[in-house]
Amino acid sequence: MTDYVSTLSIDIGLIGPELALLIAAAVILLLIFTRKADRFATAIGLIGLVVSMVLTVRQWDVKVGGFSGMVTVDQFAVLFKLLFAVASGLTLLLAERYFHAKHIARPEFTALLLVSTMGMMVMAGTTDLIVIFLGLEIMSVPLYVMAGFNRRSLESNESGIKYFIMGAFATGFLLMGIALIYGASETTDLRRIVTDFSYIATNAKLFLFTGAALMMVGFGFKVGAVPFHSWIPDVYQGAPTPVTAFFSVAPKAAGFAALLRIFAYGLKDLGALSDVWWILAVLTMTVGNILALRQENVKRMLAYSSIAHAGYMLVALAVGGADAASAVIFYLIGYTLFNLGGFTVVALLETRAGSRADFSEMAGLSKAHPYLTATLALFMFSLSGFPPTVGFFGKFYLFSAAVKGGFIWLTVIGVMNSFVSVYYYLRVVKVSYFDQIEGRFVPAPLSAGVLFVLIVTAVGTLGFGLFPDNVLEIARRAIQAFA
Amino acid sequence: MVYYLALAALLFAIGLFGVMTRRNAIGILMSLELMFNAANINFVAFNQYLGGNGMAGQLFALFVVVVAAAEATVGLAIVLLIYRNWRGVDADNVSIMKW
Amino acid sequence: MEAVQPNVGFVFGLFAAIIITSALLVVTLKNIFHCALALIVCLTGVAGIFVLLHAEFLAAVQVLIYVGAVSVLIIFSVMLTSNLASRRIVQTNQNALVAGFAALIFGAGALLLLKLHDIWPKAGSALPDDNVMTIGKLLMTDYMLPFEVVSVLMLAAMIGAIVLARGERS
Repeated sequence: MTDYVSTLSIDIGLIGPELALLIAAAVILLLIFTRKADRFATAIGLIGLVVSMVLTVRQWDVKVGGFSGMVTVDQFAVLFKLLFAVASGLTLLLAERYFHAKHIARPEFTALLLVSTMGMMVMAGTTDLIVIFLGLEIMSVPLYVMAGFNRRSLESNESGIKYFIMGAFATGFLLMGIALIYGASETTDLRRIVTDFSYIATNAKLFLFTGAALMMVGFGFKVGAVPFHSWIPDVYQGAPTPVTAFFSVAPKAAGFAALLRIFAYGLKDLGALSDVWWILAVLTMTVGNILALRQENVKRMLAYSSIAHAGYMLVALAVGGADAASAVIFYLIGYTLFNLGGFTVVALLETRAGSRADFSEMAGLSKAHPYLTATLALFMFSLSGFPPTVGFFGKFYLFSAAVKGGFIWLTVIGVMNSFVSVYYYLRVVKVSYFDQIEGRFVPAPLSAGVLFVLIVTAVGTLGFGLFPDNVLEIARRAIQAFA
Repeated sequence: MVYYLALAALLFAIGLFGVMTRRNAIGILMSLELMFNAANINFVAFNQYLGGNGMAGQLFALFVVVVAAAEATVGLAIVLLIYRNWRGVDADNVSIMKW
Repeated sequence: MEAVQPNVGFVFGLFAAIIITSALLVVTLKNIFHCALALIVCLTGVAGIFVLLHAEFLAAVQVLIYVGAVSVLIIFSVMLTSNLASRRIVQTNQNALVAGFAALIFGAGALLLLKLHDIWPKAGSALPDDNVMTIGKLLMTDYMLPFEVVSVLMLAAMIGAIVLARGERS
């Protein structure tokens, strides 16, 4: 017995950020029995997230593995964990107000959000496909519940079931893919795949390719790439808006974290996939943008817009290499901020009675809320990629990496797509500034939490846009973990 | 060896067909279970033929079984919720929101 | 190859036939309750395949969790949403063509596999005999983290199911 115990490498410090979230979630769940959880859930959740962030930042200069190679702490993992924690914290602040306004506030929501965030952290902090898969599931299962959290709303129910079916479907593909990769390489650890790559590629090429293709389909569903995107609009529109905001950034970032780990690190020498990514990227951005043009509902428009943004980010996978990978990390950081910000404004407007977040409801917004409208305009400019916002630099770095890699046509299509997207983003600005409203605009009361979210996202959108080099440098350091 | 892989691929194909054609959410769930099982057969078959270099395949399959149980729990909870609200669990009818 | 030994080949063929037939029944039968029963047969068949592949522990888990728990869960849901099981309503949609095509690709892939013999660099040593013991030790050593992590998943699923399915709070 003892010889097994002695070879065990348990280092609790390595999984500190995850543990902090888990403990916070457990405390909330226990408090439910005392009926005090309603009041304290958000606070406890925030404390857990802050502790988790602190523990994560302290890991920045560490690069070690533990738990028999199941956990990897490197700068790539740290950066993504921070991103998840920030997105989760902002969502929590946003959700409190919204859920109370809609009378669906439940302490379990906070616990589920924390567990889901923990799953993402697990997913980003490993090189083992088993753990990536389990992290993905821990992330997804709470998300299915959160999508259906507004139990009496039929749309929310529908959102939940659709997300569940699509998510489980994607899991099926992913599993089959991992099984084939395992069969080809005799291991589930990406580091060993990298070491033995040439041997695997010559001996089990067929399985490697089929496995990689199936994994592409699985993750394609998760990040919402066309042609696996059909669930996104319904799920995004039906879910409670703070949940939608979370969906559009955090799981997407987690999906890309896993994609980068697998395809930009583990299988980076599998050249022929680049063409497939090329097609996926072009399809995704084009379909997303064109369908977004026709939407009358802001939430649904943002859903299609998030498909388009996933398309831009897929460019990096087609291009490959460290430049593109760091560019996509930069893009994800920026996208998390301004997309969350955009959804925050929508959620705020939706807290008014009877609102469905249609375009027409934005009319007269600038008179009632001048500052709010200015922030909204900032987010829209960033989404469409105007300088000096972070959205501009995200696209700039991404496309210059593509040009450097010789992907001229991909860049041209991407830039043209950005121009198309300007139309529908600026439509939001136009309606809220210039359209006349019949009757009086019912103001939406701001809470301290929502105000904080808006300030953080707006300052981030503008600040990272003014000092993009520093952020890019951090993204570069994160990618060095792959070297 | 290839026979096991072929069996798994066939099972996967049948599950795929089921997910795409079923209208009933529970029916879709059952087809999904078929897909998971197909992947599991692959894992175990690979593990057997790769030999003593580890048990990763069997352990992965073990985790997949647990994950499938967890997914089924949540999925059926959502189905029951919808049934209570709507009195019917047709995945295709669940589309009051247009494409 | 395992299949050269006649008896193993025969048993495999039997199980494979059971699995494929019942799986086809799962996706084609009109009555959803019958589908659930076919699913149980199919899952048991998969457990048999696991035994053939010397994964005894996994076969036991398959029977206990899949056949025992998941199937019962599914049957319960079918019964709770009972008007679907009793009445004959259309259980399929118009996707059959697309789905058939997609399934055909995989099916063709499967048959292609049959043609490629010995694509495998057959690796050396056999698996350890004490299957259960090996897995148990691995779960407590190398695979401790996934083992703990999967328990979090169960917790999440449990909370989620309770939140969604329990009655309204007064």
